Amino acid sequence: MENISAGMSERRLIMLAADGEARAIRTLYDRYAPRVYAVVRRIAGDDDLAQDYAQEAWIRAIRALPTFRGDARFSTWLHRIAVNSALQALRKAETRRKREAPIPDQVPVAPRGGDALLQKQLERALDVLPEGMRRVLILHDVEGYTHEEIGDTLGVTSGTSKSQLFKARAKMRDLLSSLSSASQEHGAEAWSI
Amino acid sequence: MEHLTAETLAGLVDEVAQPEEAAHLAECQVCRAKLDDYREQTEALGNLPEIVPPRGDWGVLEARLRSEGLVKTPGAFERLGLAQTPAWMKVAAAVMLYLGGTGTGVVLAHNDKPQALGEMAMMSDPTMFANSATVDDAASAVRIAEQYYVSALARYRELMLTESGGQPGVDQMSKYAALEHLAAASQAALRQAPGDPYFNGLLASVLGEREATARMVSRKDNWF
Repeated sequence: MENISAGMSERRLIMLAADGEARAIRTLYDRYAPRVYAVVRRIAGDDDLAQDYAQEAWIRAIRALPTFRGDARFSTWLHRIAVNSALQALRKAETRRKREAPIPDQVPVAPRGGDALLQKQLERALDVLPEGMRRVLILHDVEGYTHEEIGDTLGVTSGTSKSQLFKARAKMRDLLSSLSSASQEHGAEAWSI
Repeated sequence: MEHLTAETLAGLVDEVAQPEEAAHLAECQVCRAKLDDYREQTEALGNLPEIVPPRGDWGVLEARLRSEGLVKTPGAFERLGLAQTPAWMKVAAAVMLYLGGTGTGVVLAHNDKPQALGEMAMMSDPTMFANSATVDDAASAVRIAEQYYVSALARYRELMLTESGGQPGVDQMSKYAALEHLAAASQAALRQAPGDPYFNGLLASVLGEREATARMVSRKDNWF
């Protein structure tokens, strides 16, 4: 068994992880878990689901590691797996219960000041966006996918992706306005989660 | 004057405005302000930070990876920190540990007798293996049971050879090397089918035989 060190090349780490070396897998996990969790959490729109989806994404990625040839960056490859895994899990969940998340008029968000507050508002607004809109908005505006890539990932045309994105942005703006009004009307008292 | 729709403005964040849209924006402060809002919103979304997963996620993931055979179970030498040691030294180390009286099972996972004695107490109540409340407890029970099985197997083989007074008929070093390969193959098979009892049993048997062979090597040649 080889010593795993912080300076070890990613390529070597991946080879060891593909061979089932626990510490190499752990090192990759420590390095990329926040990125994987972030995208999965935003797609899931829910903490509990996100944990399940992130687990599934990692299991898939580790399972598929022997097929990773290094054509793309590992982070990109892993990110794709996380997105696809979360989307697939979400589709399964949708099939089980055809529901759309209700959009509350006001969503209380904890005040953290300045950017932190805006980030919190954005996260909360993302959580209550209808799922179809949320997926496209996250993939495009948060994760930087092109409409062609979104089309491939979601199985829609790039035109549909654009149309959904513009609707999602408009919906987001409405939601953010509601959140902002709520904060001004109710002050800090209303922001406890 | 009719304002641009929300969706049109949302699209103009990264699309080129049509001449009539550009003309409207040049004259309409309301739509310009809204477009600025959309741009800020899009930029803020692109700058959202990563999210740290909840604590304990790795533990759950590791348990699952192990249950699916995606993580290699470290062998006795890795557990003892001898992973970098050449193969012949590993054999020597194994033999020395045996001669030191710690026993196969203890060598495989632990090197302290008090803990081994505690596990012996566990052995006296086999239901403890079947009543694990958590994945960790169950994994621990499996490891302990495996250690005792391997230990018992090694002792059984040793007694058989003693009683028969026979000498092994094959070159023990070659056999040891073959068993190393077999252990690796069994582990690879387990990664494909982690829950398969045959592969699990095979691996345990191979490990036991491998350790027993190491002992035979030491008796025959005393080469270390």
